[in-house]
Amino acid sequence: MADLTLTGIRKSFGRTEVLHGIDTVIEKGSFVSLLGASGCGKSTLLRIVAGLETASAGRVEIAGQDVTALPPEARDISMMFQSYALLPHLSVAENVRFPLRMRGIGNREEQAARVAEALETVQLSAFANRKPSQLSGGQQQRVALARAIVSTPKVLLLDEALSNLDARLREDMQLELIEIHRKLGLTTLFVTHDQDEALSLSDRVILLDGGRVAQAGSPEEIYEAPQTAFAAEFLGAANLIPAEIGPRGTATLPGGQHLPVPENMPEGPALLAIRQEDLVLSAGGKGISARLKAQVFMGSRTRHVLDLDGHRLRALSLGRPGLVAGETVRLAVDPDRIAWLPPAPTDRPE
Amino acid sequence: MTDRRENLLLLAPGLALLALAFILPIFRMLALSVQGEDGLTGAHFARFLGDPFYLGVLWRTVRLSLLITLICAVLGFPFAYIMARARPRLRTLLLIIVILPLMTSVVVRTFGWMVILSRNGILPEMLRDLGLAGRSFQLMRTETAIVLGMVQVLMPFMVLSILGVLARLDQRLEEAARTMGCSFLGALRHVVLPLSMPGIAVGAVLCFTLSASSFVTPNLLGGTRVQMLAASIYRAVTQTLDWNFAAAQSVILLVGILLVMAPYIVSQGRRHG
Repeated sequence: MADLTLTGIRKSFGRTEVLHGIDTVIEKGSFVSLLGASGCGKSTLLRIVAGLETASAGRVEIAGQDVTALPPEARDISMMFQSYALLPHLSVAENVRFPLRMRGIGNREEQAARVAEALETVQLSAFANRKPSQLSGGQQQRVALARAIVSTPKVLLLDEALSNLDARLREDMQLELIEIHRKLGLTTLFVTHDQDEALSLSDRVILLDGGRVAQAGSPEEIYEAPQTAFAAEFLGAANLIPAEIGPRGTATLPGGQHLPVPENMPEGPALLAIRQEDLVLSAGGKGISARLKAQVFMGSRTRHVLDLDGHRLRALSLGRPGLVAGETVRLAVDPDRIAWLPPAPTDRPE
Repeated sequence: MTDRRENLLLLAPGLALLALAFILPIFRMLALSVQGEDGLTGAHFARFLGDPFYLGVLWRTVRLSLLITLICAVLGFPFAYIMARARPRLRTLLLIIVILPLMTSVVVRTFGWMVILSRNGILPEMLRDLGLAGRSFQLMRTETAIVLGMVQVLMPFMVLSILGVLARLDQRLEEAARTMGCSFLGALRHVVLPLSMPGIAVGAVLCFTLSASSFVTPNLLGGTRVQMLAASIYRAVTQTLDWNFAAAQSVILLVGILLVMAPYIVSQGRRHG
């Protein structure tokens, strides 16, 4: 059963249309990420689901009910804001109780019990009587999360919920979010611009590009089999190489070198997407040759920048392959790791 | 150390002016209020507090000031809210509207009210024509006239005080409240109103103090029959020439205002301390 159905959602601000018809169905209990660069309309879409923004066209259904015309308070949702939006005049416990009080859920004792449970879930029981201003950023974040889950809404909306945290806290919170989602099974729509976050947290990723769905699917699908150049570049920063596919699984690259590709690739012009970590570099092995322009040692990995007959490539190796910058190296790719994309009409600016 | 001395030096002119024009007269006033024919006396205070007429004047001053403050808050809060959420151009327009009364002389403005409120003025005539008021109905020289005139002058103080707080209020708090089940009015009531309390408090202290001590508007709109304390002090100074009694009334007014401000000052001290 679907908990959230969006049909033909369009949104214009003045004359600029920022969402050009979004259709999607989100299954009950799933964790779905809306992923995209800033300005792609992902937050606007979330706000439309919340009812904070009115769609110019289209339908929003929550649990089978058309809520397009309903104000936010009449929708069975809760939302966690990037800035947390904790009410500064209320204590932590009162903040968490707020949605229960406003929605009239339960009597005083039931509310207190649910607040205690929600605070326990985010491990903040000891801070119930503090004011939000007396908490650290990470703690405030967890209060906001407790407040968002306490009313067990049909749809939980998270707007860049982890973006304001530093890297370590963020990883902790990601694990905590997964845990809480597993425990409560709330249908969750998570807006983020961070591809790693989207891939690691969600059952399904909806990739938005310029107000359109570029691709939607499981994290594995979207990572392994990008359908557009945008998807390939955005999720995992793949190299995109224009090529001419010939018969019997050979691609001719811009400089005239040949690269083996799977035999079932359609002949003709194409754009080949090769992930950074799938390029295998060696000083004198097999493969096409490219010049190593620069490399950065990063501990467990080394990042390389290569020049393939005037085309810039990026590669990522484990450890230190022991190559010298400025020299010509060999590149090999497992043909099965190459994704075929339709040829780009014009080159994207780097 | 020199820094400190320089700072004191910079403070000196202001302090000197305050001492000369404010602190000195206040002490003079305090001295006058307890000065009798032979030494110290509480007779002037006793006279004031023992006379139902003067107690009536005091009570009216307190009552009307509270009423004026309340009306300013009730009208000023939505006004300030709309200003805070309006687009820049509309906000400027509203700002001009709200501070316009302060830009005209108090006498001109009050005569404007006299024209509107007098027996044959626009407002009473309209009310009579609509059958909402009897033939003998009149607004001039009533408490209503004072309240109307004072609310108009004091509104900007309330609106601007609240606006200062609302402008800094994160709009997402309201949105968050909406997603947690508050209607628009519910969000105002449970989020915006409690968070604008500091602004309302500042505005209320300003409105109350200014209306309790105002003289021109109540005097012109209320006349001699409906007196407020400032007018009564003025009469004691200029007509009965009883300066000691005037000083006693002034001390009562000053103490009253300090009492009203005390909770505010204490709460501010606690916040910063």
